[in-house]
Amino acid sequence: MAALGSGGARWRRAWLPALQLLRRGSKAVTRHWKAMHFQRQKLLALTEYLPPRPSLPPRCQPPPAPLAPQEEGYARVLRGQLQDTLRASRMVAVCHYNSMAEEDVATLRHFLRRHGIHLKFVLNEVARPVLAQSKLRNLLPLFVCRNVLLVSPEPRAREMLRVLKGVPQVILLGACIDDTILSRQGVENFARLPSLEVSRGQTVAALSQLCSQTSSLLQRGPARLTALLDEHVRRLRDAAAAAGPPPGRSAAGS
Amino acid sequence: MASKVSLVLRPVKSIVVRFCPFEPNVESTRKFLQSIYHKKVQATNTNCEVTTDVRHDGSEPVVDVTFADGDRLIMKGAHLTTGEMLTALASRCNAKDLKEEQKSKKKNP
Repeated sequence: MAALGSGGARWRRAWLPALQLLRRGSKAVTRHWKAMHFQRQKLLALTEYLPPRPSLPPRCQPPPAPLAPQEEGYARVLRGQLQDTLRASRMVAVCHYNSMAEEDVATLRHFLRRHGIHLKFVLNEVARPVLAQSKLRNLLPLFVCRNVLLVSPEPRAREMLRVLKGVPQVILLGACIDDTILSRQGVENFARLPSLEVSRGQTVAALSQLCSQTSSLLQRGPARLTALLDEHVRRLRDAAAAAGPPPGRSAAGS
Repeated sequence: MASKVSLVLRPVKSIVVRFCPFEPNVESTRKFLQSIYHKKVQATNTNCEVTTDVRHDGSEPVVDVTFADGDRLIMKGAHLTTGEMLTALASRCNAKDLKEEQKSKKKNP
């Protein structure tokens, strides 16, 4: 401060407060809070951003329309996969799934795979729109909680029930086999049916049995008549043989 | 929901869950069944038999709980939520557990 008032050297006449302050002040970047320079304060106040004010306050405007839910690509892929699976399967069984250990799930998947049955976990949000547009729309009420699908290109109901008997955590609710919706009882009845070849043989046997019965009924009368006539001829022959040779023949011989 | 309601199945002998899956009022019963089959709940009593009876006769969903002392708790799930059913079962199980503890304390003071 002694440099201020004294008419000393020329470099001392120009007062540079920065020099004074720098002598004992801190640097620009400090660890403690440092008051902003007043000129900087004024500059920032002048250049502060002021957003444009709308003519109407936003609370007086009608609320914006809710955005339509955007379709996710992954959900679309899952739906496509489910559609392909349903199209390629003759048997689709819907089961209620309770939590199981990972190794139990793997074992179940293995035993089902042995019979050509695939185990698929489905999300209800993915499955419901697919089923609503397919022939399986009557199975929609089943898709409420966590479900699994057992799909197979062949109707292997007996094998499926045998495997599920040992797994109490997976509960069969219903199925669609060959475009027919079945309940659990229906699947059990279907499993007890004989195979197609055996059924065909039984049908052919039943049909031919009727025809053979008709044929034997029609032939019974004439066959009985033939037997009676044969018996009558045999008795007449026996009686004639017992009576002896006729007299005309003995005179012609002598 | 099972994590919020601590269910101890020690005094339970068997649970039979009966429902028709094609009815629209079985969601809470099926969720109850899922909660029962949770590994923590099953670990509390491995001797508890949980049976599921799936029908197709339009009947209402019913949960039939038989306790070890012969009591029965029948819950008709058509107009109950999963939480209510779990709370009802948990409260009865806890009450029976408490009674058992008091009995054993009286026997062995």
